[in-house]
Parts: sequence; C-alpha cells; structure tokens
Amino acid sequence: MQTHWKFSDILSDPVIRSRWQRVKKYFFLRESTYDMTNRCNIRCEGCYFYEGDKQFVTGNNDPDAWQELMVREKERGITFVVLAGAEPALVPELLQTCYREIPLGAIASNGLKFIPEGVGYRIHISVWGNDRTSQAVRRADHMLEKQIKNYKDDPRAVFVYTFTGSNIDEIRDVAPILAENGCRFTFNMFSAPVGYDGDLRHNRQTLAKTREIMLEMLETYPEHLLFSHYNILAHTHEMALHDLFQCSYPRMNPHEDVGLGKTFRQYRADLTWDRSAACCVPDTDCADCRHYAAGSAVVTARLFRHAIDPETFKAWLDYVDTYLAVWVMGYEKGENLSLKFVDPPSRT
Amino acid sequence: MNKVRTIDDVIINVTRIIIDELMIEDVTPETFDPEMDLVDEVGIDSMDLATVALVIQDEYGIRIDEDDYPKLTNVRLIAEYINNKL
Repeated sequence: MQTHWKFSDILSDPVIRSRWQRVKKYFFLRESTYDMTNRCNIRCEGCYFYEGDKQFVTGNNDPDAWQELMVREKERGITFVVLAGAEPALVPELLQTCYREIPLGAIASNGLKFIPEGVGYRIHISVWGNDRTSQAVRRADHMLEKQIKNYKDDPRAVFVYTFTGSNIDEIRDVAPILAENGCRFTFNMFSAPVGYDGDLRHNRQTLAKTREIMLEMLETYPEHLLFSHYNILAHTHEMALHDLFQCSYPRMNPHEDVGLGKTFRQYRADLTWDRSAACCVPDTDCADCRHYAAGSAVVTARLFRHAIDPETFKAWLDYVDTYLAVWVMGYEKGENLSLKFVDPPSRT
Repeated sequence: MNKVRTIDDVIINVTRIIIDELMIEDVTPETFDPEMDLVDEVGIDSMDLATVALVIQDEYGIRIDEDDYPKLTNVRLIAEYINNKL
C-alpha cells in the first residue's frame, strides 16, 4: 500500500482531478462580513449578535455610505460579502446597494420577511428546531411555515438547521417538511457565545447524538441535504474547529501577510471594524466554535494539510464542494466522493 | 549524477509553476520579476500559495511547512527556501 502520496499522484484519479478543477475555480473568493442593522424582528436565546458591544453601535442606514464602503471593499480585493446581523431583511435597500457593487455573497436571515428577488445573493434561512421549539427559543409562531411560504422554490434559499444541545431529534420533524416542499438544507452547530451556559450548549453526548442523526439525514435526504461525511465529522468532533484546524480568522490568527488574516474584516452596523474581534461569528466562544460559517473558511483553508492521500483529499473536496453549494449562487453540489469518516489530518 | 541547480534555474522553474498553476496570462518565466510580492502585487492568496507549495513539493521532493507560508512572499524567497532544503 502506498504510504507517501505526491499531489500529482492524488490528482491522477480522474474523479478527484475533475472535482479539484471544479472547486479550484472559486479560489478567487475573498470574504468579509457585515452587520447590516442593529434591529431584528425576533429575539433568540443564544443569538451571537446580542452578545458583546456590537449591538450598541449606531447603525448607518445611508445607502451612499454603504455604496462607498462596497467600492472600497472591492478595491482591496473583497469578492464575496456575507451580510448578517441583526436581521438584514429589514434593510432591503442596503442589500440592493451591496449587490450592485459586489454581486457574490450570502445573507443570513431568519426568513420571516421576504428579501426582494433583485438581491441575487444566497439566502441562509435559520431553523432552530420544530415550531414548538422556535416558539420557546425564538418567540416566533409558526416559524417554519412562514419561512417556507416566503422561500419555497426560491433558488437563492438554503435552510440552515442549527443543532443545539436540546433539539437534535426535532430534525426528524423538520427535514421531511423541508424535503416535501423542495427546500434544500444544510446543518449548523450551535456554538456558545462567550459566557453562555444554557441548555443549547453541546456536550460530549449531544455531539455524538448529533453525529448519528446527521448521518441518518444524509442517507435519507441526499437530494435535499447539502452536507458530507467530512462535514459531519468536522462539526461534531469533540475538539472544536480551532483546535482541529487552527482558525484562520484574524481574531485567532496573528498573521497579516496572506489569506483571511490579511483581508477579512467584520464590519459592525456603523461600518467600523476591529481586527482583534474579527471573525465570522463574533463573540462566539472559540473553544466551542463549530459554526458552519467558520468551518466553511477554516476547513477549506487547510488544503495543504489534506493533500496527503486520496481518501483525505476526497473528504476535503466534499467539504469544499458543500461549502460552495451552500454559499455561492450558481454552484451545484456534486455527489460526495468520500462515503466514510476520515480523521482530520494533524498538523505536521 | 546530481543535477546542479543554480538559484536562477530554480527561480525560472518556480515562476513556471506559478504561471501554470494560477493561469497567469501575459507573462513568461523570463519576464516575471522574481522580487514582485506575490500577495500584494500579483494578487495570489493562501489557497493559491498552498496549491503552488504542493506542486513544488512534488517537483523537488521537499517538505514545506505550513508555518513557512507567510515568509514565501516572492519567487526569489521561494527559490532560496527550496535551495536550502535540497
């Protein structure tokens, strides 16, 4: 059995080479994130936005100021925007302004208010359990029904089911409804904000249970679920993402020479940013971070580490393929190449 | 017989790898300035650097440490790094 693989050996498999060439075309993506407003139409337990001091800034609602910001962002090489906190759907004019300048991106929304079709970004609609749980945790009635009504058949939409420590089984209620309505979905893991110690936090048992049920969902809904074995493994591992892969966001990465450490910024709603706080989900406890947005950058950035043998590289390709399908309009997910759990490679 | 590689040979070869892998147009290994900053002036990023590093490892049979990436900011520095490892 071959023990040392050259990169060219790995790529000699035509299936691997084809997927590599497909995902490689997207290496031009350079991401930054933006809080669009301090307002939200619901208030969820454990919401990252309402932790820390970013919620207290004075939001800038001036489209001209946002346009100028986007022009500057484009000039410094940003090609992909993530529009988040608190609820971007409440400021559609600003979304349109961003879209005009930088047409690749994604919006994180609770899905209760429809975002006009002219905003051609991916839209991630957050689902935190069945309707009973949404009522308890998010204080919103008939949430899934309203979300589906707004975004059924919308090619922009990807529903993001967040597994908390206490809603794991509820995916069995939610997934069939999403699938029946033709909605694509992916998974997120609740990652505790700094200081949070409530029931939503994961522990060793809930991580193991989540892994089991994610696998069941992957086998049951291959047409609708955008996920892979490696996604499951990376996000339900007892070690969180930073410990597994070494987070590349500025908050945890002192290098300013290249990659996210150089280009990534997390703008608050007043258009200021702070390198020491910058990551995709600020005020999350890094030791507990298994967030899907974090993984999309942190695992993807570790190309070098995964190019050690065909099976590990296939797992990484599946992860990147999933990331692109979830985040980038127009990218369609391919079939997963690795159908088993591959250990994350250690740093050598 | 060991092939003697001068630093200029390595520079040309590394430049060729970068041009091929990153599909950079309108430049040849001979016209590419080896002192040009790959990140700030050429516009390549960490994923591109990782791709180039993997191909260099194959070609020269050396191991490049992930921690060394930030130091490899231009072709000359990459070529010197390779020569030190050979």
